[in-house]
Amino acid sequence: MGGPHGQFPSTQLSLLEAASSGATLPNEALERVSALYWKPVYRFIRVKFRKNNEDAKDLTQSFFAAALQRDLFARFDPAKASFRTYLRMAVERFAANQHAAANRQKRGGGIEFEPVEEPAVTAESPEQVFEREWQRQLFALALDDLHAYCEGFGKQLQFEIFEAYDLAGGDRPSYAGLAARHGVAETSVTNYLAWARRMLRQFVTERLRGVTAGERDLRGEMRRLWT
Amino acid sequence: MDLNDAVLDHLRHVAALPDVTGTRYELESEIGRGGMGVVYAARDRQLDRRVALKILDSALAGEAQLIAHLEHPAIVPIYETGRLPDGRAFYAMKLVAGARLDHYLDGAPSLGERLRVIRRIGEALAFAHARGVIHRDLKPQNVMVGEFGEVYVMDWGVEAVAGTPAFRAPDARLNQRSDVYALGALLQCMFPGTAPPALCAIADKAMQADPAARYPDAPAFLADIERFQEGLAVEAWSEPLWHRLRRFASRNAVLLWLLAAYAGVKFLVFFLRTP
Repeated sequence: MGGPHGQFPSTQLSLLEAASSGATLPNEALERVSALYWKPVYRFIRVKFRKNNEDAKDLTQSFFAAALQRDLFARFDPAKASFRTYLRMAVERFAANQHAAANRQKRGGGIEFEPVEEPAVTAESPEQVFEREWQRQLFALALDDLHAYCEGFGKQLQFEIFEAYDLAGGDRPSYAGLAARHGVAETSVTNYLAWARRMLRQFVTERLRGVTAGERDLRGEMRRLWT
Repeated sequence: MDLNDAVLDHLRHVAALPDVTGTRYELESEIGRGGMGVVYAARDRQLDRRVALKILDSALAGEAQLIAHLEHPAIVPIYETGRLPDGRAFYAMKLVAGARLDHYLDGAPSLGERLRVIRRIGEALAFAHARGVIHRDLKPQNVMVGEFGEVYVMDWGVEAVAGTPAFRAPDARLNQRSDVYALGALLQCMFPGTAPPALCAIADKAMQADPAARYPDAPAFLADIERFQEGLAVEAWSEPLWHRLRRFASRNAVLLWLLAAYAGVKFLVFFLRTP
């Protein structure tokens, strides 16, 4: 994926285009969807339905399997909601049904003690958690793309500087410090950072393009992301 | 790659910032967000002046060309259009020092001042309509009133704009009459308390659900505003008799005072002559 900066070929079909190209989505489109949404769905289920780690994983797995079997993605109507909202609501319905079924089974059967696990405590609503995890996963995937691109095109220095500055968990190093550490001019540090951020933005856009329903939906999601 | 919240927020911020390397502009600060992009205060290094830089979504580059063709005193002028290294389109425009219309109205301007502003907005719309451009998203947030009273209509829309609910006409497809609807909504919001009934009627007519029942265009709307200001009957309102008389009295106050004085003098003379 990718290309020289500013000339990204739009190799990813939009979700809508993929859906409209046939009754079922191509595997590539499905992979993009699950790569981006697996973690947000998992976290949403954990917080919303207070599931433990294993149950949440199982439910997430079941949801994606059921979504494929029932052509859930092909039934997405972009006129009604964004794909992200559609998917979250579908997860909510699916998990609520599963949750209710599990409770019925418990009430009908013998008493079973489950190991108590640390509940997923958060001040955010499940919807906010879903949104946040979606952003996190989107950037994580775009960063992987950027890293791979830098490795493939001999831009390791640019990535190292970007990683040291923009991915720093604590205090950020100074530009001068980075320049001295890598033996480049300070202006190069600013240029490398600008380049890497620009590329990151493009990879984020490409990832989003793969899971949105056309240009308008893409713009809406971009706006939400940057706001 | 695991990202904590702080790093994620930082990445969202830096990736959103427009990359202006290679342009003549230096970003200063974000000053607004519209439906179609973000506006920054920036410095034009070549001309050493401050400008407003609007960064658009890449697919909407046409907006800049669209507005660049509209040269009118009440339409914010475009200085330059271009594309950033990250692919997004931008245009540089005059940085208007003043207040947004909604903030301007907080200062309780006079009736005459409010009408002057709405007329300027209407004139800008009429000008744009004559060139085949419609605004699509007219609202107080898209109008600036400058320090010296100049009025600028901004954020001229493109196909993708859906409008703002309180100002959007219930039309399936936006056209000139949809802008007339928004103009009426703007007039209404400029008089939040008690407005003269004729002005209420003008706003109501402009905001009719049926486009055919509205003013056909901005000049027709402006003509009614002008009639109101001149004390004439407005097209939008069939006023009651007492109101018509009051308006007549108000328009012909001098004549009526002269007639009254004449009648008074005649009356006095009549009694003085009587033995």
